[in-house]
Formats: sequence, C-alpha cells, structure tokens
Amino acid sequence: MSEVESRGLIGFDQETSRRNFLKTAAWTGAALSAMGIGGFGVAVNRADAQAAPYTTYEGLGDVAILQFAYQLELLEADFYAIGVESGLFADTFLTQVAAIRDHEIAHAEALAATIADLGGEVPATPEFTYPDGVFTDVVAFLELAATFEPVGIGAYQGAAPALESKDILAVALSIHNTECQHRAAINILNLVVPPNDVAFEEALPIADVQAAVEPFGITG
Amino acid sequence: MQKHTVDVPGAEEFASRPKSRRDFFKTLAAAGAGAAGGSLLLSRTASAQDSSASASASASASASASASASGDVDIANFALTLEYLEAEFYGLALDAGVLSGDALAVVENLFDHETQHVDAIIGLLEGAGATPVAKPEFVFPPDSLASQAGVLELANVLEPTGVGAYLGAGPLIQSPDILAAAGSIEGVEGEHVVAVRNLLGIVPPADEAFPAALTMDEVLAAVAPFIMGGMMETGGEGYRDRNSFGRV
Repeated sequence: MSEVESRGLIGFDQETSRRNFLKTAAWTGAALSAMGIGGFGVAVNRADAQAAPYTTYEGLGDVAILQFAYQLELLEADFYAIGVESGLFADTFLTQVAAIRDHEIAHAEALAATIADLGGEVPATPEFTYPDGVFTDVVAFLELAATFEPVGIGAYQGAAPALESKDILAVALSIHNTECQHRAAINILNLVVPPNDVAFEEALPIADVQAAVEPFGITG
Repeated sequence: MQKHTVDVPGAEEFASRPKSRRDFFKTLAAAGAGAAGGSLLLSRTASAQDSSASASASASASASASASASGDVDIANFALTLEYLEAEFYGLALDAGVLSGDALAVVENLFDHETQHVDAIIGLLEGAGATPVAKPEFVFPPDSLASQAGVLELANVLEPTGVGAYLGAGPLIQSPDILAAAGSIEGVEGEHVVAVRNLLGIVPPADEAFPAALTMDEVLAAVAPFIMGGMMETGGEGYRDRNSFGRV
C-alpha cells in the first residue's frame, strides 16, 4: 500500500502533530498565565490568550453536550458498520474495524442511556451521507476514518472541562481515550509508522466539530 | 444498527471509584502504607494526613481555593512521577540497543512523547508557583531491557497504567485548564497502548470501548516495583519540604 505513503498521509500526520503541539503549548500558556496570577482554578482575564476550546462548550449544559456527542457516535457507528459490511476488509483489518464499530455503538448506547437518565430527549438518528466511493475503496475509507477520529477526540477533549457532572466527565474521558486508541488503530491500518505520532491530542472548539460533521448530516 | 448489550460505566463501575479528593488521598494513604516502593507518595500523604488530623473540622471542610490548588498540584506531581517513569524506561530501552524496525520507531516516539509530557507538567507546576517533584530512582527488571520483547512487555504494563491513572485523576482536577492539559496527555497514553499492543501482535490493537480508570492504590501497586525505596535516601526530607506547598 505504498499509495498510502505517496498520498502524503504520513506527512499530514507529522504536520498534525506539530500543530497539536503548538496549540497545546498555547493552552498551556493560558493555564500558566492563569495559575501565575491566581493559582489553580482561579478565573482570570485571558484577553491576551486565545480562548481554550472548552470555553466554547461552557453554558451548554451536560445534556446538550451529550446529545451532540451522541450524534457523533451514531455517525461513527454507522460509518464503521457500513465499512464492515462493505467487503473491503478481511482478517486482522476486519477484526479492528468491527471492534471500532462495536465501540462506537457502545458509546452511543451509553450516551443515550445517560441522556435519558438526565431527563433529556435522545436525538433521532440523522440521515447520514458520505462522499462517493468511500465504501468501495479501502484507501478512501481509511482516509475518511482518519479524519473522523480526530474530530471525535477533539469534541470530547474540548467538552470535558465544560461538563458539570464529575460522573459524566469520567465516562467522557474514558470514551475520549477510546477515540484516541481508534486514531492510532486507523494509523496502523493506514500503515503509518509509528502509529503513535502525536505527543499531545488536540481539543476542538464546538464550531470546528460542527463544521466537520455537518457535511455528513449532523446539523444539530 | 445491531443491538448490543452495553455495560454503562457511568452507573456502577465509576460510582465505585474514588470521587472526592478526600477519598483520593484516603486511597493514597492506604496504598502507600502497603507499598514499600511508594515512599515518595507515602511521604506526601503522611504530611497531608497530619495536617488534616490537626486541622479543625471547619478548615478541612472548606473547599478553599488553596485546597483546590494543592489538590491539582498533588495530582500533577503524581502524573509527573508516572511520566518520569515512562520516559526513563524508554530512554534506557533505546540505549539498550535491542530495538529495530517498527518497534524502534514506536519506542522513539514513546520516549519523545513522555519526555514532552514531563516538560509540560513541570511547566504547569512551575507556572503555578509549585515545585515539581524530583525524579525518583527507578529500577527495572533486567529482562525488560534485554530484548525487544522484554521492552514491549513492560511497555504494555506501563501504558495502560498511565491511561488508568489519568482517567482516575481527571474528574478530581479542579482547574479546567489543568484538566484540558491532562486530557491532551491522557489520550496519547491510549494511543501508546494501541501502538504497543500492535507490536506484540495483539488483534485488534484497539480493543476497549471504555478504558478503565484506576484508583490510586491500583496505580501504586502497578508502579511500586519500579520505584526504588531510595526515594527517602535521595531526598525524602527535601521532598516533604518541597511538597508542603508553602504551608510550612
């Protein structure tokens, strides 16, 4: 699968890694500034620093955050379920893609149960749409998978500090970790060596997540 | 979409985890008492217990800003110790010259990432006016550095421990900025788990829908064999002093 390399996936990942580091350094700088002024946990004026991604989730409330996350999980589950049925994969590749599908389904079900427990409405399943050819071309499928996973990672990581319930935070962090494991697993399927190619994961502001998934049918 | 039976971790599993900082340090104390290798953590706990024992009920009950700060500092220092441990092991593994091919590439990145995590956490602590813990003396089983398989087997212990530690500590962190930083590291440890499992030939390498949080005592039990009891010899008193966070 030298085409994977020639398509620049490895170079892309290195660039992503560098960007992640710089962004994380920026957030860390904001945190440093906060702590230097007021100690841990003290709100400070961050006018000079770019707002951390989690601030874009603040005020939404846990239910709304979970409703959004639930739709992301539905999208991923649907995508991987079609991938499993597509016949594109066999053997160890199929085993991994099926496992990822199962994880996303489990996440969606856990989130739905939690939303219901909180008295919220579980969103209807959107009509998902995908680019032509992703289920007939293994490289296209894995390339799209490689873009989905960082979106999920960025959403959970961005939302985590904005969650009010510590119990829900615990679950969100666990799911976040799985999404990161998926990112590395997709790297493996894309023959990226080494697959562990970032030192810091990147949180995304909610607008970036919404923009990333809107083309696939998530408009909520 | 097919139907799956799901064990929702929010319900029971996580409820049994230590949730409050009080529980966190109770757990730490219990673990420290039973883990000879955890002396660096034990020394910290001992002083925390002394102070809480002598403190008035109202003082210990108040969730003051300084209490939050010290909690986050404790957590950050604990994470720093784990990152030191991982960074040192991978550095030694690279020096041992037993790695090649994909394994070498993976471990080079493991070392690089853990070193960056060490630097980032030190930066956070120093920025907060807190003193980062000194790097303990570590000891690793000779087999773990004698072959590529040995390196990967120990890595397959250390990485899931790191994941569990961050997942367990995350909900205890008070500062959203510190939590954000912890999240950016927590996920990377998960990627490390997958990279190592892949090298070990485990299929599928990503196989956890809900990676488990570890309690402090579980983390301590996992890392105690690698932390020399020499912690006290190499500055136990100094460690205590440095970790008083200005309360002396």
